[in-house]
Amino acid sequence: MSRIKPTQRKGASTVKISLLRRFVMFWVHHLQQALGSLGELTRNPIASTMTVAVLGLSLTLPSTLYVLVKNSQEVTSGLENASEISLFLEKRLDQNAVVNFAERISLWDEVESTRIIYKDDALQEFRDYSGFGTAIDYLQDNPLPDVVLVTPKEQHRSAERARMLQQKLELEREVNSATLDVTWLNRLQALIQLVQDVLAAIALLLCSAVVLIVGNTIRLMILNRKEEIEVMKLVGATNAYIQRPFLYTGFWYGILGGFLAWVATALLVWWIGHAMTRVSELYESPFKLSGLSFNEVLILWGVAVVLGLLGSYVAVRRHVAKIEPQS
Amino acid sequence: MIQFEQVSKTYPGGFQALNQVSFSLEKGEMAFLTGHSGAGKSTLLRLIALMERATVGRVMINGHDLRKVGPNKVPYLRRDIGMIFQDHRLLPDKTAFDNVALPLYIEGYTQGEARKRVQASLEKVGLAGKEKHYPRMLSGGEQQRVGIARAIVNKPPLLLADEPTGNLDPKLSMEIMRLFESFNDVGVGVLIATHDLGLIARMRYRTLTLKQGEMINDGLQHGQSSEGVAHE
Repeated sequence: MSRIKPTQRKGASTVKISLLRRFVMFWVHHLQQALGSLGELTRNPIASTMTVAVLGLSLTLPSTLYVLVKNSQEVTSGLENASEISLFLEKRLDQNAVVNFAERISLWDEVESTRIIYKDDALQEFRDYSGFGTAIDYLQDNPLPDVVLVTPKEQHRSAERARMLQQKLELEREVNSATLDVTWLNRLQALIQLVQDVLAAIALLLCSAVVLIVGNTIRLMILNRKEEIEVMKLVGATNAYIQRPFLYTGFWYGILGGFLAWVATALLVWWIGHAMTRVSELYESPFKLSGLSFNEVLILWGVAVVLGLLGSYVAVRRHVAKIEPQS
Repeated sequence: MIQFEQVSKTYPGGFQALNQVSFSLEKGEMAFLTGHSGAGKSTLLRLIALMERATVGRVMINGHDLRKVGPNKVPYLRRDIGMIFQDHRLLPDKTAFDNVALPLYIEGYTQGEARKRVQASLEKVGLAGKEKHYPRMLSGGEQQRVGIARAIVNKPPLLLADEPTGNLDPKLSMEIMRLFESFNDVGVGVLIATHDLGLIARMRYRTLTLKQGEMINDGLQHGQSSEGVAHE
């Protein structure tokens, strides 16, 4: 009974191995197990391929939707910057007063520039383009007011700031009414927000599905190797040692699935972009769909790896500890 | 080395496999454990190997009180016990070399480092040159010897064997027993569970006998019984 602690016994046989060497060996072992589990994937290629495909394609949908949302945000942020406030002036003002007023407003801090549309010009334009033509000549006097178009400065162009400016302008004596046409913009933004929320929900659901699917695949792998695990436990393997190859398998699923998701997303974006270019050509706008950036690809890959690891972790936590040698 | 103090084991459902068993095995001692099927031999071995826990009483292995060994420490204790099974428990998809090297891999050796020890181990059981054979290419006796090589490869102070000769003919059985003797000669404690009474008679070692969960003979002369042995 003089053999006391296993650590002491272990120490006696391995004391010559330096700490540094042990540290190096630890990583060498990790590398060996990582490569070993990569080889394990090729042993049952069909199950592995299917799991990787599920992982990759499940991530393709949210990432493609993300690309579309990102692009639509870019487009609408351009629209938002073009916001303009139209001031319909009181009819009693004469031309001088209008010019004075426009000049006064253009000196405001919030205002970048102003442009006047005189009521006579507006009527002329209306006559030319509306198709009422001579019918307008029957009018006794011009029903249109003078209009001043106000372009706010850069920092006052957001929907909220522009609205504040609009209200301020409305208080001016010369102004009959001021309109800021941001309602449709707000609606569009709300719509994009809705799509974003739906996207988040779909992404969450698909990610949970991926975790469960990877977990189930790993669970089957563990149960297939039940006997081997029992023997390993009998000769003193820790749970951590037995778990490691399975965790690496999850890691590889993530790496391969992430790669697949990237390729599939790129293909989809290319395809959709192709269709969009035709549409934007018809509208004569130089819109171009931008795909995933390098950082976004890295994030996509990271998410895939985390999901793979998480799935395998769930499986090994539940099943490796449960397998105990029976004889 | 092994010390049982009033150990009882009751399985869920009420079956009492061991009833107040006390005995001790000194360091470097070799002994047989015998009894009919169902007498509790396997349960006793399973308690030593921490595959089961005692319901009542104290089991000490290599100086550890097993009641105080948490699940995380179990693997480390098992590394100090070489276990040999009737059905070998070899991994069929691994070569003899890799089967024997398994405990070393688990302790953190690389294949290169393990090579010398594995070869020495296989040589000792008379299987030098069969490193690359898979278990199915080996005979029953050879498979058993691979199992023994695996049990001794990390030089544990204690060997446990559960019916190691169960499937072997008398001549092969004797060879296996001689192998255990040679380990015992260099100071390894050996406990062999067997119901092969003829073999036991020829070997003249201490024999512990279980009957219906009770130790009816601990193999020691009366008055010579060591501490903790409470057989009347």
